[in-house]
Amino acid sequence: MILQGWEAVFFWVFSIAAIFAGLLTVMARNAVHSALFLISSLLSVAALFVLLGAEFIAGVQILVYVGGVMVLFLFVIMLVNVGAEEQGRSEILNKPRQVAVSLGFCLLLVGGLLFAINTGYRGLQKRDEAKLSGSAEQRLLQDQTLARGATGTSRITTDTQKVGNSLYRFASLPFEIASILLLVAIIGSVMLARTLKQEAAVDDVDPEVLLAKVAEEADLAEN
Amino acid sequence: MLGLFAPIFAFLIQQADVGRGSLMWQSARNPDLSKFLVIGALLFIIGVAGVLTRRNIIVIFMSIELILNAANLNFIAFSRYLQDTGSVNAVAGQVFAVFVIVVAAAEAAIGLGIVIALYRNKETIWVDEIDILKW
Repeated sequence: MILQGWEAVFFWVFSIAAIFAGLLTVMARNAVHSALFLISSLLSVAALFVLLGAEFIAGVQILVYVGGVMVLFLFVIMLVNVGAEEQGRSEILNKPRQVAVSLGFCLLLVGGLLFAINTGYRGLQKRDEAKLSGSAEQRLLQDQTLARGATGTSRITTDTQKVGNSLYRFASLPFEIASILLLVAIIGSVMLARTLKQEAAVDDVDPEVLLAKVAEEADLAEN
Repeated sequence: MLGLFAPIFAFLIQQADVGRGSLMWQSARNPDLSKFLVIGALLFIIGVAGVLTRRNIIVIFMSIELILNAANLNFIAFSRYLQDTGSVNAVAGQVFAVFVIVVAAAEAAIGLGIVIALYRNKETIWVDEIDILKW
């Protein structure tokens, strides 16, 4: 798998953008800025997916992550109070000793992962040398056989079709399990985010009785 | 100002010309699987650093999203590699990426629900102040 020409340029642009946006996500003082940088990092990674020929996943990434999950994050940031952090009155990082240890751990991780990728990739290259030799030309030839888009300048890829085939042929049971997972997530988050009053209304208890009980329990916990 | 920087630019262009035939320039001009893996590894480590160092629980959640996204990048890169080597079910990596995105969405919904419940009870989003379980 080798990118050529303009694809290589776009690879460097988007990968550097993804890494810098990721770094700024972690370092930004304001949580809203963090969320916006994370959105740009996710968009850059979606562009890398397009370069890799996974148009369907890129679309899903933008729709689900950027359109759904990040909006949820922004809502929660607005609901909770983060004023002290952005005005510089509060520390954004853990205690210095914890930070030093975790950064040391991350450096070790960098070294280990880069070493593993280097040696592993060399071995992989040696194994698949014959198969990979003409793959770029073959891919170009394959692209020539695809149907043209409406404007005539681009080709319609069959990526989504392939993913759908593979998903329903080999992974239909995990697909059903994923739907149950989403159902559990919906019910769980609704249950978790209820207020005391809503909880009382559902359980058919008088709110005052519940409040008194909660206060009693808090007293017990304190003593 | 421009005159000051002109020799530096000339030097850089000359160096680029010299380096054009070198191995590193060749591999930078044609990024392959290993480049994608390195980018994925760097994003993963940035996410790990965020989880370990930040105090804001929402930013920690965002770092977890970054980690999951780095894993996705690896899945897609290997999927493309297997397509090029002519493997039978090469798009399996993309199918797996779909599931990773589903799990990430469910995790974000549950996690943010917990954050809201926690904020309602403890009035804080700093992880070092949430220490009820600490002896």
